Amino acid sequence: MKLRSIIDKTLYWVLVSLMALMVINVLWQVASRFLLQSPSSFTDELSRFLLMWVGLLGAGYATGNKMHLAIDLLPNHLQGKTSGTRLNMLVNILVALFAILVLIWGGANLVYITLVLEQPSAALGIPLGYVYTVIPLSGVLTLYYSIHNLILEAKGQVVSTNDA
Amino acid sequence: MEYLEIIVLVVSFLVLLIIGVPIAYSIGISVILTMLVSIAPEAAVTTLAQRIATGLDSFALLAIPFFVLAGQLMNRGGIAERLINFAKGLLGSLPGGLAYVNILASMLFGAISGSAAAAASAIGGIMNPRMVKEGYSKPFSASINITAATTGLIIPPSNILIVYSLASGGVSISALFLAGYIPGTLLGLSLMIVAGVVSYRKKYPVGERTPFKVVFKQFLDALPSLFLLVVVIGGIVAGIFTATEASAIAVLYTLILSMGVYKQVKVKDLPAILMSTVSMTAIIMLLIGTSMGMSWVMSYANIPQQVSASLLGLSDNIFVILIIINFILLFVGIFMDMTPAVLIFTPIFLPVVTAMGVDPVHFGIVMVLNLCIGLCTPPVGSVLFIGCSVAKISIAKVIKPLIPLFIVMMLVLVIVTYIPELSLWLPSLFGL
Repeated sequence: MKLRSIIDKTLYWVLVSLMALMVINVLWQVASRFLLQSPSSFTDELSRFLLMWVGLLGAGYATGNKMHLAIDLLPNHLQGKTSGTRLNMLVNILVALFAILVLIWGGANLVYITLVLEQPSAALGIPLGYVYTVIPLSGVLTLYYSIHNLILEAKGQVVSTNDA
Repeated sequence: MEYLEIIVLVVSFLVLLIIGVPIAYSIGISVILTMLVSIAPEAAVTTLAQRIATGLDSFALLAIPFFVLAGQLMNRGGIAERLINFAKGLLGSLPGGLAYVNILASMLFGAISGSAAAAASAIGGIMNPRMVKEGYSKPFSASINITAATTGLIIPPSNILIVYSLASGGVSISALFLAGYIPGTLLGLSLMIVAGVVSYRKKYPVGERTPFKVVFKQFLDALPSLFLLVVVIGGIVAGIFTATEASAIAVLYTLILSMGVYKQVKVKDLPAILMSTVSMTAIIMLLIGTSMGMSWVMSYANIPQQVSASLLGLSDNIFVILIIINFILLFVGIFMDMTPAVLIFTPIFLPVVTAMGVDPVHFGIVMVLNLCIGLCTPPVGSVLFIGCSVAKISIAKVIKPLIPLFIVMMLVLVIVTYIPELSLWLPSLFGL
């Protein structure tokens, strides 16, 4: 329980900061183009990388708080029944499997390949592999949240849905 | 072999959706299962991870979180209220006046925020209680709110048109934005006609005429909000800045307006506003990432070619093909949210219609307009859900008043599909 709230809070402030940085960054790009007449070359790339980080880390957070869009006709229909709990547990297991296979395994492999190839980003010159670490990171978060929700579900606690 | 892949993709996707797996994960899991039919596991997972990452690596996509953020700021910054007052001053004295006010305010707010969900909750939250208080039936006012909220997806700026631009491989965002004006306005006016007929029949109240001086005052109040549209669209169309830069300017503008001028947003509100923007962005981004994987696996299994061959086998008449595609999209829209539908079906249908001479800008408008109808239908209609929860009414109760509105939306869809000039005339004026 405690770990969950620490992760939630940390992630919250990381995401808020990244989002704020993204806004400032693009505003700087506009300002540098119009006011200084010299377009800054790194802002374009930095903002794309920030979007990838916000999007994928945020996707983990959204999984934890059950914000992703789903067709909930069947789960709602079975709510409160044993079969409904089992169905929700199955959904969490499937999401966890996706996190393990694609985000963690596939993502780590992608990071490894890009690092071995020493592929740097065009403007900032940082190795692309570092940028891609967000994929396995998001996978770990998604895995943690889906297992945590699975346990809550098994204990009969309903995971509340937060609207965005 | 290819048939096996198609079966795995379609069956696993539908099963996952039905059991309640979030749509983005349903797409991702069905894609990985399909890849595993013929690709080695390690290569399959790495390819999908790469598709998800590179799918998000786009400067154009950045406009989405910024327009969402601008919408959030407007939502809490007192902008919806001012747009409603202005709309009421203009249209409130007509029979069924408040219904028109609801529609016009949704068109303006939806346009500025680029999101139907934001329009449904912001305008609905204010208009539903007012309409009910003046004697309109609750299901009627909710149904008006729900359908009118979708007009903002076609009237620019519009996030879904940015997604379409990405899915179509770079159709000009400026051209798409300009193309949306006439069809979006046509949709709004058509909804007003239905609202007028219903209000006349049910003898809904006629509001008092607002003196011109007051309307002018309301216009001045709403002017800073309306001016945002001029800055954003004007800047994009004139080529002064890109859609992404315009969206960042929209954020700065709404920030100054809501914090500095209207003073309804405080510094301490900002983290929560940023976080709800992050959540909405992340939901869309994961959908985009996995949908990119899906369009990759579909082209790997030659699905676009097969669909195009079978469509062309049915007919070589563009009118017939467009009818078929519209029917398929209407069906898809009932079960699927707009963003994945646009991302998945654009690569399938766009080559077919462009080969037959349809302009990709025109097709984008047709597709979005079509999928707007699906946003208002059960079982997967996000705007329907939001509109009903804002009005505190069950979905079953709004279906009846929604039916005439659906019919009109379909009519507009037919008109926009078969009169390409409605979409293409404005962009052509600007040489786009």
